[in-house]
Amino acid sequence: MKVFNVFFAIGLAWLLLATSSCRRDGVSAQLSREIVFAIGQAPLNLDPRYATDAASERVNRLIYQSLVDFDSQSKPTPSLAGWRAISPTAFRFTLNKNRAPFHYPTKLRQAPLTANDVKATYDSIALLQDSPHAAEFDNVKNIIVTDDSTVVFQLKQPDSHFPAKLIIGILPAELIALHHDFSHAPVGSGPLKLLSWRNQLSLQRVSDGQTISLLEVKDPTVRVLKLLHGEVDLLQAELPPELVKYLQTKPEVTVKTNRGANFSYLGLNMQDPTLKNLKVRQAIAYAIDRDAIIQKVMVFNTRAASAILPPEHYTNQHSLPIYAYQPALAKQLLLEAGIKLPLKLVYKTSTDAQRVRFATIMQAQMQAAGIQLEIRSLDWGTFFADVKQGNFQLYGLTWVGIKTPEIYGKALGSQSVPPHGFNRGRYADAQLDQLLAEEDWPSATAHIHQQLPYIPLWYEGQFAAMRQEINNYSPKADGNWDDLATISRYAH
Amino acid sequence: MVIFGVLLLTFLLIHLVPGDPVEVMLGESASMADREVLRADLGLNQSIVFQFGNYLTKLAHADFGQSIHTKTPIIELLKTRYPATLKLALVALFIGLSIGLPLGIYAALKAGQWQDLVVTLVSVRLSAMPAFWLGPMLMLIFAVWLGWLPVSGMESNTSIVLPALTLGLGLSAILTRMTRTSLLEVLNDDYIRTARAKGITESNVIIRHALRAALLPIITIVGLQMGSLLAGTVITETIFSWDGIGRLLVESIEKRDYPVTQACVLLVALSYVLVNLLTDILYRLADPRVKFAH
Repeated sequence: MKVFNVFFAIGLAWLLLATSSCRRDGVSAQLSREIVFAIGQAPLNLDPRYATDAASERVNRLIYQSLVDFDSQSKPTPSLAGWRAISPTAFRFTLNKNRAPFHYPTKLRQAPLTANDVKATYDSIALLQDSPHAAEFDNVKNIIVTDDSTVVFQLKQPDSHFPAKLIIGILPAELIALHHDFSHAPVGSGPLKLLSWRNQLSLQRVSDGQTISLLEVKDPTVRVLKLLHGEVDLLQAELPPELVKYLQTKPEVTVKTNRGANFSYLGLNMQDPTLKNLKVRQAIAYAIDRDAIIQKVMVFNTRAASAILPPEHYTNQHSLPIYAYQPALAKQLLLEAGIKLPLKLVYKTSTDAQRVRFATIMQAQMQAAGIQLEIRSLDWGTFFADVKQGNFQLYGLTWVGIKTPEIYGKALGSQSVPPHGFNRGRYADAQLDQLLAEEDWPSATAHIHQQLPYIPLWYEGQFAAMRQEINNYSPKADGNWDDLATISRYAH
Repeated sequence: MVIFGVLLLTFLLIHLVPGDPVEVMLGESASMADREVLRADLGLNQSIVFQFGNYLTKLAHADFGQSIHTKTPIIELLKTRYPATLKLALVALFIGLSIGLPLGIYAALKAGQWQDLVVTLVSVRLSAMPAFWLGPMLMLIFAVWLGWLPVSGMESNTSIVLPALTLGLGLSAILTRMTRTSLLEVLNDDYIRTARAKGITESNVIIRHALRAALLPIITIVGLQMGSLLAGTVITETIFSWDGIGRLLVESIEKRDYPVTQACVLLVALSYVLVNLLTDILYRLADPRVKFAH
């Protein structure tokens, strides 16, 4: 029997040895001076001409500079350049005098970016066959450089919103000519520059050399544990509210919240015979208790929504009422529409745990209104393909980072049915088309609110959780990571 | 034939599911013309038969192609991801064997006594613990509370301990049960009684005679489990941010990155075939009566 006891002793010793030898690594990680930011999804492509995922776009805002940015009311504002419309089809952009140089690894070029770089960047987008942004610039006829700091964009058709499209990061003309791989070796002129990109994306702040690393940690619970253990210093969004509340109880962690602007909604298939009926759509809107969902399962600062663009957006002159939870009224509307109860509807969503949770709650709430919701949770590729093909009755999605009122035309204009736009519900309304053509945004918003081609849900609140020694960082309404340009750590 | 079957099935299935890499790459705002140009560029406008033939021809030249999304050569992706999975699988297997075998032997020797009951209860509990629960629990205990190990990642040498424990503990539970059962079947055989009657020490009886005879079903289980581990344990790799083949496979399916999916599945199938071959060789070593068929 002794031999088996020896087995146990060896096993136990091995386990203790393996674990105790790790103490040093844990401590050294805590002493590291870099600031580590845990993110749910790593950037896919750091070439701004290709990037479409949220993480890449947020990092690219920090590595590159763009001509235009947006203010707190989402009005386009000068960033790298101011502009003037010199005719309905021409805009002159004048670059700021104080412009940072590109982050070349060697001292190849120290001069700041010029109008030539702007032209090269936008010309190259037009030439790229596989750039998702190419279609945005189809209307550009010509780009003329008049001097080092002035560039004129000539358009084929008048477009008063054109400056708002110039948010692509500017690349150096020399490297574009050399077909440099910006997707993995970005060279920009923004506040951060690339250090390395292996297991994690390491960036360095140009002004003071502070290293900031972005570490992909898919699992939300693990992100929280890493923050508590001190392996990461910061995390933002993509956590279930119970974990946020848990973090708020931890003295070593600071949680900051902000109102959000990303719009969550229920999409409706307007070609579905049942959903074509306005009363049915109104019944669905009245059958959801947004306040209960926001209070119980969403983070602080989440707001019920009544339109795609939030109330503080410059186009919203009057706030529209929220559809309140009235299951009795919803049931009555269904009966008035001649629907035999219960009304059976299929709701498609992704496999994301929080989205499935929302769907389950809405399913329970709608039951009181006589709506029997069947939930189908699909992998993202299948789900989104179904949405684009109109293969759904109801679906749930969120518009992220929407700034311009053009979204109404792209999402609801009768000419914008996929693949020509985002009108996934196949909504066709001549009156709305007219209002959008006239750019009468308040009337268009009110009309959409009344016709309900989608059911508005909420603007999800933003939050960031950070170790106590981290400061100068707060979450932004659209979830961007701009404060990485200023974030710092208290010296002990 | 197995590999060809896997290739054909994978190719057909990933082309049949909804979703399209062109849609994923260009988004919804791209024009139809741009979509068609990119589709032609990627060879997706050809018939499935032609695409499959083209794929096989490239494969015959050891050309896995490149990722549709990142443009990275797939061979480079596999070179970094597969060793990570292999390392995790081997450490997990070591943990599983070093806990499972002794515990199984101990339980068999104490069959019907309280020690057997305790081992049985522990192994049943361990085998019932899913990785998505056990992983965070181990993190909480060993990383957050005790501070001994990193929570996740691959940055330090000790990063492998917790994911390997998560996989290894589950494996050890299966091996404990299997070892106990197999050993109990042979412990009452005549040749064991004869060995004991000859005065051979108990440890020699168990290790040299009984365990060797009980080894075949254990080898089978180890082979099957090793195959699964090499296929990539998606949940464990995801929880622990372990950049292995399982995560790569799932990510490629999500992005409809066809060439990467096909390469991952091919590698997994090859691993299974190789592990099966090794299992057969081990059978022969454990029991010389086992003959290979010609």
